[in-house]
Amino acid sequence: MSEIKVLIVDDEVEFAEALAERLELRGFQLETVDCGRDGLAALSTGALPDVILLDLKMPDMSGFEVLVEVKEKHPSIEVIMLTGHGAVSGGIDSMERGAFDFIMKPVDLDELMEKIKLAYDKRGSTG
Amino acid sequence: MSNYFSKFNHFISNFLDGVDKGENYKHFRLMLYGAMFIIFFVPLLLATGLSSLEHKKLLAVREQEQLKASVEGAQKTIGAFIHELRSVVRFVSREYSYEELLDQNNASELFAHLKNQYPGFVDFGVIGPSGIQKVYAGPFRLEGYDYSEQDWYTKVLVRQLYISDVFMGYRKLPHFVIAVSNKLPGKEEYWVLRLSIDYETLQNYVVTVSTSAIQDIFLVNNKGLLQTRSNIFGEILEPCPFYTHYKQGETIANVDEYKGIKYLRSYVQINDSPWMVVMLKESYMHGENWSSFRFRLRMIFFGCTVLALVVIVQLVNTITNRLREADEKQNQALTEAQFTNKFASIGRLAAGVAHEINNPLAIIDQKAGLMTDLLEFSEEFDHKGKLTKSVESILDAVQRCKVITHRLLGFARRMDVTFEHIDISDLLREVLGFLEQEALYNRIRFELSFAENLPMVFSDRGQLQQIFLNIINNAIDAIGKDGLITLSADLYDEENIDVNIQDTGPGMSSEIVKRIFDPFFTTKELGKGTGLGLSITYGLAQKLGGNITVESKVGEGTIFTVRLPINDTRKEGNFNE
Repeated sequence: MSEIKVLIVDDEVEFAEALAERLELRGFQLETVDCGRDGLAALSTGALPDVILLDLKMPDMSGFEVLVEVKEKHPSIEVIMLTGHGAVSGGIDSMERGAFDFIMKPVDLDELMEKIKLAYDKRGSTG
Repeated sequence: MSNYFSKFNHFISNFLDGVDKGENYKHFRLMLYGAMFIIFFVPLLLATGLSSLEHKKLLAVREQEQLKASVEGAQKTIGAFIHELRSVVRFVSREYSYEELLDQNNASELFAHLKNQYPGFVDFGVIGPSGIQKVYAGPFRLEGYDYSEQDWYTKVLVRQLYISDVFMGYRKLPHFVIAVSNKLPGKEEYWVLRLSIDYETLQNYVVTVSTSAIQDIFLVNNKGLLQTRSNIFGEILEPCPFYTHYKQGETIANVDEYKGIKYLRSYVQINDSPWMVVMLKESYMHGENWSSFRFRLRMIFFGCTVLALVVIVQLVNTITNRLREADEKQNQALTEAQFTNKFASIGRLAAGVAHEINNPLAIIDQKAGLMTDLLEFSEEFDHKGKLTKSVESILDAVQRCKVITHRLLGFARRMDVTFEHIDISDLLREVLGFLEQEALYNRIRFELSFAENLPMVFSDRGQLQQIFLNIINNAIDAIGKDGLITLSADLYDEENIDVNIQDTGPGMSSEIVKRIFDPFFTTKELGKGTGLGLSITYGLAQKLGGNITVESKVGEGTIFTVRLPINDTRKEGNFNE
């Protein structure tokens, strides 16, 4: 299996970096940015990620806005939303706008990896 | 009056505003008692008093009329007797000449004839112009007696016919005289025919007209001396204290007292005689019948008053209690609303805190995770094992924190009233999660027994959580230390589900059970319980269309049963009443 390319977009840099490093240790190819704009910018340069882990609440652009733009420009990229606990409705809303799935913080790593792999598989089958 | 009215208004408005309520109930109660008593008592008193007075007046008038009729009857009877006597005397004086009567034989024969007809005649005399009795027929020897100085003789010369009072006279026996004077033909001289009548004759007539309804009947002359015997005033010729001058022809009836007894008295003059007939009757108004009537009337009045008092007390108590209950309900609703608000505020605050903690917690979680990963991939070094264990401890702590923040967030989310389909057994397990720690410290075990295939309940999660939290918390408090709380849920019928919370606490007496849901009622120590928990819980269960019942036995424990409708037919919109 080729390395799955994952982009983490989260303003909590410490969280994003730790998560990225752990995923890298498990064979994923990671890139992190700390805001929505940088996330969108990352998509216009270099190789496109397979899956984006996108925080719902960010100061510059909300996860929703970034999601809509990503799906518009790159419908083949799967997006998994990161939400605060209890924000189920936010997660469901995101899925209605094209997100593959959502996962609540604090994140269970095994569950997350499972979801990333499912998203990647879906991408592979459709794209 | 308007002053009182404004005071009343002021009082009512104060009362309704809830100023000084405890005291006001007392005043309100007293005021109602007063008002209702006046409303009832015054008309009753007026009705009883007036009807009694009117009745008395009517009876008095009727009684007087009856007595008047009786005395007038007696007047006519005795008057007829007198009239007959007068006719006899007139007849004799017209039929017989002076000369004829001077013959003793004629006189004796005539007297015998008269005596035969009227046994009351005592004697008979013819008195010459000089006043000397010329002829006498009768049992006494009275020939030659001089009557010229006697009162009646003078009067008969003036009036031609005269009836005397009853007097003793020469015979020393009570009698009366009827005499007639006649002119001697051709002379200016008069002779007199005199007949004496025994007073017993008069007495017999009086007795004849007497009836059992009257106490006394007698004759009295215009000097106030008794002319016949009186049952009350004594023998003849004794003075009668009732004697009153009065207008001729008038019948008088009035009430007077004699020897402590009130008599109704009526009297009237007998025509062409010197006598008045007097009748006395014990007044009904002052007699036993009237007293017993008045006694009965008073008893009825008293009975009515007692009955009214009972009704008034009952009514006033009911009204005041209803008012108090309504007030208490209002207070309870208010307190409940405040409590719920407070609860909701705490929930929101907790949610905010939990949310803020959640982000750093996610960082700690990932950093510690990373550390574990790195430790796993690194070579052995000093303290690697200890480090790994420490990181695992951090991860455990994070896990615990996660559970807490999840619960807080979940709890807060449920503060908003929303109906949803809820699995009661899940909900109960969730609630127990909050209480596990406390139960553990107190060595209290939980036992769960839920019926299989319990349907989902359409209700409000937050409210249900609060209901069970309160009841289970109370069960823990009741047990204190070492005990068992059994939670069970089963279908009650097709539409309701029963959740039983049974504890092995000390139980409660029936008096306490009766008041257990009353607001501000608590058996906990001062300052430990508000007495609102179960009251609010009960209110919540009712709002959700269910109810709560309690069974308890001292020494055995308590069972709370929460009955919930499976599908609350009331929609969300109707919830916030």
